[in-house]
Amino acid sequence: MMDDVLVMQGVTRDYPVGGAFAKKRTLRALRGIDLTVSRGRTLGLVGESGCGKSTLAKVLLGVEEATSGTVLVDGHPIESYGRIERAKLIQPVFQDPYSSLNPRMTVASIIGAPLQVRGEGTGDSRRKRVEEVAGEVGLPRHLIGAYPSQLSGGQRQRVAIARALIGEPKILICDEPTSALDVSVQSQILNLLHRLKQELNLTMILISHNLAVVHHLADEVAVMYLGRIVEHGPSQAIFDRAHHPYSSALLKAVLPPRPGSRLPELGLEAEFPSPLNPPSGCPFHPRCSNDDGTTCHEIDPEPSGTSHTYRCHHPDNFTQTAAQDQAPAD
Amino acid sequence: MTNIEQTTAPSVALSPGRMTLHRALRHVSFWVGGTIVLAIILAAILAPAITSHDPAIQDLAQRYIPPVWTEKGSWDHVLGTDNLGRDYFARLLYGARISLLIGFMTVLISGAIGTALGVCAGYFGGWADMIINFVITIRLTLPVVLVALVVVALVGSSLTLLVMVIGLLLWDRFAIVVRSATQQLAHREYITSAAAIGSSTWRILFKEILPNITGPLIVVASIELAHAVLLEASLSFLGLGVQPPQVSWGLMVAEAKSQLLFRPWMIAVPGAALVLLIFAINLVGDAIRDVTTPEGKA
Amino acid sequence: MEASPILDVRNLKVDIPLTDAVLHPVRGIDLTVARGETVAIVGESGCGKSLTALAIMGLLPRNARLTSERIALKGESLTSAGRKRWRQLRGDRIAMIFQDPMTALDPCYRIGDQMREILQQHRRVSNKEARQRSLELLGKVGIPSPEDRLSQFPHQLSGGLRQRVMIAMALLCEPELIIADEPTTALDVTIQAQILRLLRDIQRETGIGLVLITHDLGVVAGMADRIVVMYGGEVVEVGACDDVLARPLHPYTEGLMHSIPVPGETRQGQTLGFIPGVVPRQVGELTRCGFLERCPYAHAKCGAGPIALRDADVSDGDDRMMRCVLPADGSGRSPEAWVRDVEGA
Repeated sequence: MMDDVLVMQGVTRDYPVGGAFAKKRTLRALRGIDLTVSRGRTLGLVGESGCGKSTLAKVLLGVEEATSGTVLVDGHPIESYGRIERAKLIQPVFQDPYSSLNPRMTVASIIGAPLQVRGEGTGDSRRKRVEEVAGEVGLPRHLIGAYPSQLSGGQRQRVAIARALIGEPKILICDEPTSALDVSVQSQILNLLHRLKQELNLTMILISHNLAVVHHLADEVAVMYLGRIVEHGPSQAIFDRAHHPYSSALLKAVLPPRPGSRLPELGLEAEFPSPLNPPSGCPFHPRCSNDDGTTCHEIDPEPSGTSHTYRCHHPDNFTQTAAQDQAPAD
Repeated sequence: MTNIEQTTAPSVALSPGRMTLHRALRHVSFWVGGTIVLAIILAAILAPAITSHDPAIQDLAQRYIPPVWTEKGSWDHVLGTDNLGRDYFARLLYGARISLLIGFMTVLISGAIGTALGVCAGYFGGWADMIINFVITIRLTLPVVLVALVVVALVGSSLTLLVMVIGLLLWDRFAIVVRSATQQLAHREYITSAAAIGSSTWRILFKEILPNITGPLIVVASIELAHAVLLEASLSFLGLGVQPPQVSWGLMVAEAKSQLLFRPWMIAVPGAALVLLIFAINLVGDAIRDVTTPEGKA
Repeated sequence: MEASPILDVRNLKVDIPLTDAVLHPVRGIDLTVARGETVAIVGESGCGKSLTALAIMGLLPRNARLTSERIALKGESLTSAGRKRWRQLRGDRIAMIFQDPMTALDPCYRIGDQMREILQQHRRVSNKEARQRSLELLGKVGIPSPEDRLSQFPHQLSGGLRQRVMIAMALLCEPELIIADEPTTALDVTIQAQILRLLRDIQRETGIGLVLITHDLGVVAGMADRIVVMYGGEVVEVGACDDVLARPLHPYTEGLMHSIPVPGETRQGQTLGFIPGVVPRQVGELTRCGFLERCPYAHAKCGAGPIALRDADVSDGDDRMMRCVLPADGSGRSPEAWVRDVEGA
């Protein structure tokens, strides 16, 4: 039986917007997230910008607090951990390796910072551990004394990963870990993450808008739309038979670099709505090709399904209601 | 390790700070300005070795001796003497001490206040930012000279008081610049990373933010240094600054003002010294701004 | 060749003098774009693709030096054209679409004013006519309620709408050539597909020549007629889009193709190929193959001298060129070459 390292129950996060003159409003970045991740699994979190996936990452990191709901890490609420205990459990890897490393610190001191902050070990033992981890992530030894400006994008991302791993966390939160990198470098980082996840039995949250990356690493996929999870299930199930029309559209939007591939018709109407003013009923209805004009406008669908859940009145790839929009990918 | 990413390997890793220094050393105005400032500092420190005259000793028989380049000048008093027969060159050297002392001390005080406020406002945002902004606004509404005048009139004048008054008044530019620099940094991912590895707020402020705003900080410091020197001169000129028997350049100008039409060199000499010092400080500040801006793109 | 191409560039070079050396980010590029053709310039950061685009637009930074045998737009040579001529051409006959529409649009002016300004720069039109034309184009690029948009500021639009506005602005003067530099990289995947479709539809309708600069081979696959692969300031491979994707000839192209995960093709967690090393700094003339250090097939011949771009005799398409000494028939190659030495472990 696998144990659940990360449990989120009804997590919401609101931001007040508007200042002295504008009317104060509430931006509901997360609108009730229920999510469970088991030890050693990788959850891919996908969605467009503004869907709340980065807010979710910040809540999980403890950098921001949930407005309501509970986040359980290793069985205990995240607020019950101190700064340092929390850091021992959860570590981030960010998107932009150019802004995630302090330009004034050497690679060695960046990687060793978590140990230093905790006051663990002596200078010598820390240095040894830094070299060990740097080797583990494939960072050449001679770069340990270098500054970030002297490294390439791929090397910087390795430094960021080394910093995250040096304290042996249980959970790694990767926020678009490869989208700032060139493709030939991206593949190295994907290989590395995959190897680390297996060797260290890491639980990983992989946030990405690139479904190819998610497909490559994730065991489960959660699709987010306007602050909630609209579909969640095993990676293979979602990539084979996505039920929510939004997930299908995202899947179709992947452009394979293969001869003869054509630009996909996504069937997504309109633009991403403002999170300040989400549509009534099913929040996806203004863009949905399965919109029925009545139920979808009035009733917000509840999650259905067991291991593979989705929030939709008229799911795709599902007996009679399947839509016209169903030609398999080109 | 095989052939992975070995090319850009630096032979010697230079810290960004060192690289900035290297760039600065290739900058002409840094050299020119730096040399002048350094020369003035050395002259001030070594004043007793440079001249044997005491700036305070009066010799009424030797009043108003003109400088050496005029007909009646003598090498004994290179820049002549003033209305009380004190050696003008000695007064200039010892006056530099006071001017520089006040300049550097006030920049230390105002820099500390302004940086602390600016970093807090920029990093914490929200209420802290609002309150600090309010304080900055209040400070900006106070006319510096007028406040100094009132304080000196109420408490009386002394060097310490002067440093405190100017230092407590000139922190606004530090606060404003540091605040916006910090705001830009606060959203960098390395700050979030630092929080995520469990760093304390203090560590984030001192290890992650402060080292990365030194560039703008030094530039503001150079501007404020010049500003403080000038302000001291103005206050001394108004009779509210340095009091005799201490000397400062502003005081020298003040004491010579009655001789403006008869012995213009008495005003020109300390005036030129002031202009030179401030010009040199600004040159250095400009150079530092030039070499710190392209940082990170290297 | 057929009637004069829209764009004809021969031996385009860009040099950037630095204090200690001269950078050669673009080392002699040939590029032709025919009417109605989409040519994709593909390469990773630092390969010189964006500088090539800026050079064709006459927008190089001031410290860069441009030399070329020929830059011709519809037969008119621009090699010796002055700043004024370039200014007349830009926005009129050549237009550019930038990566980030938020920074490419001026935040201080309303959309309508920005569009009117472009039109009146190049055409003698009244404000009313300009408004009419702007409305027409905003409608054409699929912007809902164009009337309202004219009086809006860029920040009031979403990323996708802004990029549509950029496209509408590029089309205002009916240019012959559009250069799109990573037009969808800053956009969400769902918007990306829409914008690419729009670009392609407009291009088919009007016969504009399109130069698409991108690092994303997936975007190329759906859009381009021809691919020009750049590496280290040089063209390393040219060919029809489908041919290049089906059978990359240059090891660099091959490496790129092997490093991209594709759902449904690559297995989960399958070790992906990668190109070891980093792009070297482009200093000094090349005395050998520029890809040598990173190439798994490198041998003695590669270091002997600079490699010329040569015609590749392959059956699956004419017009294919490569800058490599390997035989074009693919003998002696293997996908495994790209995954050996995984991370140096």
